[in-house]
Amino acid sequence: MYTDFGGDSRSDYAAAAYILSDCCRKFPTYSKLSKHLANMYSASLTSSTSFAWAGMRGTVLKSSVIDNRYALNGENLEAEMCGILCECLLNPNADNSAFDGQTTELMRAELIDDIDSVINEKANYASMRGAMTAFKGESMELPPLGTHEQAERVTPESAYKAYRKILETARIDILCAGASDFADAEMIFAEKLSGLERGNICKLDSTPSRLKDEPAVFADTLPMQQAILRMYFKAPELEDRFAGLLFASILGGMTTSRFFLNIREKQSLCYYCSCFGNRILRTLTAYAGIEPQNIGRTKEAVLAEIKDICENGVTEEELLAAKLDLRNTLSSMNDNPMAMISWYHNQILEDNILTPEEYCAEADKVTAERVQEAARKYSLDTVYTLCPSDFDAAEDTDGEEAAE
Amino acid sequence: MIEKIYDDVIKETCLKYVHESGVQVFMLPMKGYSTAVAQFSAKFGSLDNAFSINGGELHKVPDGTAHYLEHKLFESEEKDAFKLFAQTGASCNAGTSFDYTQYYFSCADSFKKNLEILLGFVQEPYFTAENVEKERGIIGQEITMYRDSPGWRVFTNLLEGLYSVNPVRNDIAGTVESIAEITEKTLYDCYNAYYNPANMFLCVAGNFDPDEVVSVCEEKLKKREPLNVKTAEFNEPPAVNKKRMELTMPVAKPIFEIGFKRPLVSGQAQTDEYIYFNILFDMIFGSVSDFFGRMRDKGLINEQFSDGMFSGRGFCVPFARGESNDPDAVLSEMQSVLRSCKTAPPAREDFERIKRATYGSLVRDFTNADSVASTLSESALRGSSPFAVIDTAAAASYEKMLELLDGLDEENVCISIVKGDN
Repeated sequence: MYTDFGGDSRSDYAAAAYILSDCCRKFPTYSKLSKHLANMYSASLTSSTSFAWAGMRGTVLKSSVIDNRYALNGENLEAEMCGILCECLLNPNADNSAFDGQTTELMRAELIDDIDSVINEKANYASMRGAMTAFKGESMELPPLGTHEQAERVTPESAYKAYRKILETARIDILCAGASDFADAEMIFAEKLSGLERGNICKLDSTPSRLKDEPAVFADTLPMQQAILRMYFKAPELEDRFAGLLFASILGGMTTSRFFLNIREKQSLCYYCSCFGNRILRTLTAYAGIEPQNIGRTKEAVLAEIKDICENGVTEEELLAAKLDLRNTLSSMNDNPMAMISWYHNQILEDNILTPEEYCAEADKVTAERVQEAARKYSLDTVYTLCPSDFDAAEDTDGEEAAE
Repeated sequence: MIEKIYDDVIKETCLKYVHESGVQVFMLPMKGYSTAVAQFSAKFGSLDNAFSINGGELHKVPDGTAHYLEHKLFESEEKDAFKLFAQTGASCNAGTSFDYTQYYFSCADSFKKNLEILLGFVQEPYFTAENVEKERGIIGQEITMYRDSPGWRVFTNLLEGLYSVNPVRNDIAGTVESIAEITEKTLYDCYNAYYNPANMFLCVAGNFDPDEVVSVCEEKLKKREPLNVKTAEFNEPPAVNKKRMELTMPVAKPIFEIGFKRPLVSGQAQTDEYIYFNILFDMIFGSVSDFFGRMRDKGLINEQFSDGMFSGRGFCVPFARGESNDPDAVLSEMQSVLRSCKTAPPAREDFERIKRATYGSLVRDFTNADSVASTLSESALRGSSPFAVIDTAAAASYEKMLELLDGLDEENVCISIVKGDN
């Protein structure tokens, strides 16, 4: 379900998502819902809410259950699961335009815990803090769950209002995957959702992230041992999505990538140094965990690899390895229903939705020249480092500016 | 000679074949799947920190050696394994645990070629002073990365608190200091001892032809003189080493892990412990339990709370973990629940519900080639039937669970806490 990002109501949207998978009118407590799902051979129902492209929020209700053929007593688990999902979405535990007070209180506390606990895993913390700099002034700058202060202000009414906005204005996509024709699912969703009054349906936006005039450089510190480096590159003009994908793979997406071979294996600078691209935002993020005194060296090494591809291109061997790696990854999705759902989910912005096979066929047409051209479109936008508190920045040569 | 192992519960057949070298091969072909997964494992993990061969002298091994060896085995004199797999597109990796090391790939094409690469590089070590030295910095950074992870530290501290001498208390990757002692000779000594074919097994699941696996094994697996390798034994006292472990790190809310120390068991008894404690803890501490609802309502736990069973060669720990501003209160309440369950046992209906949920989770594992291969590997490691876990779950009895509950000493427990410095 796609809506606008929520601005100051981010925590209301997040709380609404939490509440929808916690209980509903039919199962008014988490315990009752959990017991029922346990009876259904450990079926699961979860929700998530996250940033989805430029200025958009994706709120996802996800359920899974074993195939009917494994049910010990011939139960129709698929139909039952779809029914429960609809109950949670359409009949939440709410009255008079407000969610149940006790449930909201509980979910607000868990939301605050989740917001605060981002500091626990340093890679996640670096990712959040890096994004705040890399996407400054854009909606992606803000954490999708909102801030601690916003979460404190969530009420049964404010969360319910966010929920109604999702229900009435979100673009809603339903995806099913597994060993079924989903005839039951189709019928149940069609019937249950048919009575909804909806309008001003959210339009999806694919605006790329803005490239800064000058690269921003920021650093944070924490009591920790390893430093984390994140470098954000942007290519707002990049149109060739397949070449962009293969570039990211050759640069730092495989165990034979430039980063792996040259920065990890040859220079022994790190255990991990990788990168990933976002084709909608047209960004490429490189990240590594390193000794703090090697921040400058690693940064130079990352830039050198990109420069080399821009100037000298990639080899046919590298290109073939990236294509084979992609083919292997996409083929394996046929065996994983959740991966298949993600595949189509990630393409909802496209006019022309591709099967994994069609996608591979397009990627196979990419030449080394197209990869080089894609690489040349990227410019450094932001460098973010998370350093151990006791590290003396003078040991490194870059003198980063401290973040606010 | 291929042996068929049929399971009547989930109607699946596993094929077992023992190569003349001693390598055991387990295969489970899955119709309609696109990918195949192969895992080649040696029974050599971080627990194996001292060994003797054929009754000879004891060789001490620096902590982290099994993991170091795993890193180095990908390298060869000519082309490393990653480059060979890159030519087929297969995804490959390896992992070291407390009691085994595993090398694996998954692929949608060129299965035979990939299996040849896997069996080839694992059997051809190439360790030099230079390439061993080069790896030290990389592994040092991996160790540092884990040192910064509160989730990992709370777990390793729990093991240190539970065990006095069992090497499971030592970090799998060792320390920066212990890996400084590792040389190419250390790696060859351990390789020659533990990577003996009789100490290894291959498990394959997904889309593949079993005859092709046999033919590659016949061609690629090398025969070696069997060795009588014995990992040094230790005398672990039954009581926990320390009741409480605490560490300060940047965390928003204290995180904790609670582990109950159990006597060592093996074979089917270990499978029983695994299944029954999973069911018992899910039933009395899981999201369906009164405990969970009560503690969550009081704000003493949140949805991060979970329970489970951590077991392997020489260790067996029913545990719970989560976040709480008062972890000691969580432990105290868990102990109280365990005590009262011994006098007023949980309802049979609750047992049946969780038994069914456990069965459902295990059935899901059989619908994914990765997890099927892992299930086969775990059973090969334990020396049990590939279907032992799911069969035990399907046939679990309420009475047996109560028996195990009675034998659980709720006082023989350690709590590990990582708290923030604020």
